[in-house]
Amino acid sequence: MKAIEIIGKGEEMHGRAYIPSGREEAGTIIKKLKENGFAHFVMLSCVDWIDKNEFELVYHMWSYEHKEHAMISVRLPRDNPSMFSMHELFPQIETYEREIHEMYGIDFEGNSRLTPFLLEGWHDTPPMRKDFDSKKFAEDVFDSIPEIKEEEDEGI
Amino acid sequence: MKEYELFIGPQHPGVTGNMMYHLWVDGDTVTKAECNVGYLHRGFEKLMESRNWMQNVPLVCRICVPEPDVNEMAYAMAVEQLMDWEIPERAKYIRVVILELARIAAYLMSIGSYAGSLGIYTLPQWALGDRDYFLDIFEQLTGARVYHIYIWPGGVRWDMPEKLPGLIEKTLSYTEKRLKLYDDVLFKNRIFFDRAVGIGKIPRGKAIEWGVTGPNLRACGYGYDIRKLEPYAVYDDMDFEVIKYPELGDFDVLSDGCDAYTRMIVRRLEIEQSISIVRQALEKMPEGEHIIKHPNWLKWKVPPGYAFKRVESSKGEYGYFVVSDGSSKPVRIHVRGPSYTHGVNVAETILKGANMADVSQILFSLDVCPPDIER
Repeated sequence: MKAIEIIGKGEEMHGRAYIPSGREEAGTIIKKLKENGFAHFVMLSCVDWIDKNEFELVYHMWSYEHKEHAMISVRLPRDNPSMFSMHELFPQIETYEREIHEMYGIDFEGNSRLTPFLLEGWHDTPPMRKDFDSKKFAEDVFDSIPEIKEEEDEGI
Repeated sequence: MKEYELFIGPQHPGVTGNMMYHLWVDGDTVTKAECNVGYLHRGFEKLMESRNWMQNVPLVCRICVPEPDVNEMAYAMAVEQLMDWEIPERAKYIRVVILELARIAAYLMSIGSYAGSLGIYTLPQWALGDRDYFLDIFEQLTGARVYHIYIWPGGVRWDMPEKLPGLIEKTLSYTEKRLKLYDDVLFKNRIFFDRAVGIGKIPRGKAIEWGVTGPNLRACGYGYDIRKLEPYAVYDDMDFEVIKYPELGDFDVLSDGCDAYTRMIVRRLEIEQSISIVRQALEKMPEGEHIIKHPNWLKWKVPPGYAFKRVESSKGEYGYFVVSDGSSKPVRIHVRGPSYTHGVNVAETILKGANMADVSQILFSLDVCPPDIER
C-alpha cells in the first residue's frame, strides 16, 4: 500500500493502512503523507483503552490520488495525556482537538482554542472516558429532583 | 461604525436543527463568526458503548433527521466487515434504492429551506409537501416515515413489497415534473441569480485541505464522490456521472464555482441523478434472500479490530469508525459527519466579510446538519 511504502512501516487492515506511531514522530508522518497525496484529513478519533491505561488517537487521512485510506495511531498514557496540535496542517483538526480535550481530557500543545465545544459549565470527569459512569451521573443529577406527588382528584 | 455582537439561532440560524452562530457585525458586514453547538447533544457515541451491537441499530439513524439511512448503512457495513459477512445481492440493490430515495428526500428539504432563506416562500411548501411522498414510500417499505431502522447488519429488515416499485416509479415521474416548476420558481429565477452568484465562496485551492466534501466540494470543481471512489453496495453496477462544476447541464454557469449558486445547482442536478439510479437499481434487482441467517441477535460477539466505512450522503462524506475488542459491545464508535467541517471551520471562515442578509443562505447552501457535529 502506498501509505505504508511512504512511511516505511504499518500494516494493512481491511484494505486500509494502519500505521502505529510514537507521539513525537506523528507530526512528521502526517506532514509526509500530506505532501505525498493524502490531502484529505477525514477525522481524528480517540479510543479509551482503560485496561491498558492508554488513550489511542487515530488520525484518518485519505488520498484522492491513490484512493487509499491511512490511519495513524498514537498511544498516550492515560495520566496527564498530552499531544502536539496539528491544526496548522489541516485547520479542521482544531475542532477535533477541542472536542477530544473536552470529552477525554487530552491536552493539545499549540492549540489556543481548547474552549468548551459541546458541553457547558462542565467540571466533572471528561464524559467520554470509560471511567465516567453516565448512569450514576444521571441518577445523581436527576434523582435529586423531588418527585411530584399528584393530589387525588376528588371530582367536582 | 460601531461593531456589535449578534446571536443568531439556536432556533433557526440557517440550518436544519438547533445550533447557534455568534456573529460580530460591523454595519452590515460580518467581521467574525463563531459556531456554538451543543443544543442537540445527547451523547449517542457514549450510549453506543454501553449497548450491544444490535441495540445500536435503532440508535444510529437518529443522528441525522433529514437523511437517517446513511448512518444505518455505514454502521451496518462496518459491522459486516468485522464479522466478515457477505450480504445477499438483492439486499444490496434494495439498499441502493433506499439510500437514493433518502437522498432525494434530503435534497428536497435542503432546496426548500434554501429558497426560504431568499424569501421565496413557495418552494419550502412545495418541496416539503413533495418530500412527504417519499416518506410515504418509506412508510410502506419500513413501517416508519423518518427513522426507518431498515438497513441491518447482514441485509435489510424486510423484503420489498411487490407493489412498491409501482409506487416508487409514480413518485419519481411526479418529482421529475415538479422539478420543472422548481426551476421556474428558484433555479431559473432572477432573484436567485442576483442573490446567490458569487456568495459564500470557498477558496478552490483550500477546499480539500479544509475537509470540504460532497456537493460542496463538487461545486468547487472536484469530481469526487464516494459512490465512485469506494463503491459500496452495488454502486459500481450503476451508470451515472459525477456532477461537478462547470458541467451544470441546462443551467448557466454564472460564476467561477465554489459559491452558493453552484452548490444549489449541483444539488438540483443530483436529484435527477438519484432518480436515474433508483430506476436502474429497481430494474436490475435480482430475486433472492434479503438478509443472511444470523446468530442470535442479542448475543453477537464481533471479532476484535478496527473498521472504517464511509458513504456519500446528501451533505458529504459520512463515516463510521468502529472499534471492537471481541465482546458483545463496541469499544468505540466514532461518527464522521460532513457538517463537522462545513458547519464549524468552513462556515466560520467564509462568513467573515459576508453581508448579514446572506448569512442564512450561506449556511443553507453548505447544508449544515447540527446532529452530525454533536452526535
